[in-house]
Amino acid sequence: MSSIISSEVSPEVAERANDLRESRLHARRARVDRMFAVLLAVQYVAGIIGAFTVSPYAWEGKTHAIHMHVWIAVIGGAGIAILPILLAIFRPGTVLTRHVIAASQMLSSALLIHLTGGRIETHFHVFGSLAFLAFYLDWQVLITATVIVAADHFLRGIFWPESVYGVANPEWWRFLEHAGWVAFEDVFLVWSCVLGRREIESSALREAQIEQLSEQEQLKTAALQMALSEMQAAS
Amino acid sequence: MSRRHVISGLLVIAGLLWAATVGAMYRAVRRFETTPGRAAAAQTSWPAASTIERPEGAWTLLTLIHPHCSCSRATVEELELILEKAPPSVRSIVLVYRPSEFSPKWQNTEVVQAAHRLPRTRVVTDLDAREARLFGGFTSGQTFLYDGDGRLRFSGGVTALRGHAGLNSGVAAVVRIAKSGVGQGSHPVFGCAIVSHSEGARK
Repeated sequence: MSSIISSEVSPEVAERANDLRESRLHARRARVDRMFAVLLAVQYVAGIIGAFTVSPYAWEGKTHAIHMHVWIAVIGGAGIAILPILLAIFRPGTVLTRHVIAASQMLSSALLIHLTGGRIETHFHVFGSLAFLAFYLDWQVLITATVIVAADHFLRGIFWPESVYGVANPEWWRFLEHAGWVAFEDVFLVWSCVLGRREIESSALREAQIEQLSEQEQLKTAALQMALSEMQAAS
Repeated sequence: MSRRHVISGLLVIAGLLWAATVGAMYRAVRRFETTPGRAAAAQTSWPAASTIERPEGAWTLLTLIHPHCSCSRATVEELELILEKAPPSVRSIVLVYRPSEFSPKWQNTEVVQAAHRLPRTRVVTDLDAREARLFGGFTSGQTFLYDGDGRLRFSGGVTALRGHAGLNSGVAAVVRIAKSGVGQGSHPVFGCAIVSHSEGARK
């Protein structure tokens, strides 16, 4: 994108446009980081409430103990959310932060799916999360998220197939079918990321050009005023 | 130590915690979900000492349920599927466990309400797991299929994992045997214990 800008305008304008673009993308990504920090915290609390509501206790006859799901929601959920939240607070807008957030968001999906007993409706969390990740306007973040989903299904498909597919001996390629639906959404989200970046680049270029024109106009005005003052002084 | 160093150290610790938690969580969940409950010591025919009336000449599905076992929701869902696919002559009995010192309100849970909505099904309270012991079952979700002569044709669970509804070989076996009238089957059972190991040993 920057090559288009550079080939059509002066190097000064291209440099200024690049600066504006980077600063806008950084500000946008920092905002999205903060949004995900809040979302991850909310999901953490929702996971605990869900575990307490759906399966608070494991029973043995008439005695009961805290259910495994509650511990997983409390400890596992905290483990998943703590790093991305800290990164969003202390390293907002960086590449590492958004990739860790993407991975953690997908792991949160896996956790919520588990806590709801593999409900098919909870799988929609994956697709909603991908759409939110597209707010970064960085298609590579979507790849990270997709790799995590595919790896989760691939590994569970090998070691623990019933938990994903409901049958003990699915075809080896079954994870590709699930990841394929994610990839289907990715195609459109990647496209929207590219379009979004282009819009930011073209608006940054326009602003740089306007700034340059305004600078030139100000110089012209100043020169005119100086000439006018000299003429008035001479008469 | 500067603030920058403190933050970097904090992030490294959080990173390690993150990686360790993800690994440990997968391991714990896998162990929990894939570990079956105690298999039944089922008798080959309907126990003579049972007070549960067996529908004369009909194939009967008998399922043990702990009313507070969250995993048993999946069992009830699978029972619905079985009753939908099996011949209409198949009858179902759900035995709901309740300790005698607890009030009937204790067993009025979502799982039991769902069992009441099952077609061709009778829900019976099993005080102190007396009937469960007679049938040789220890785990919530344990399902027995008896043929018209009262002979045991299937013993086991009808879910793939703890609390996971969905197609599995337990359901497939029950439906196949009930439809064809031939063969026998078994499947691991996943759920909370109705009769603990120590109680089972006292039997």
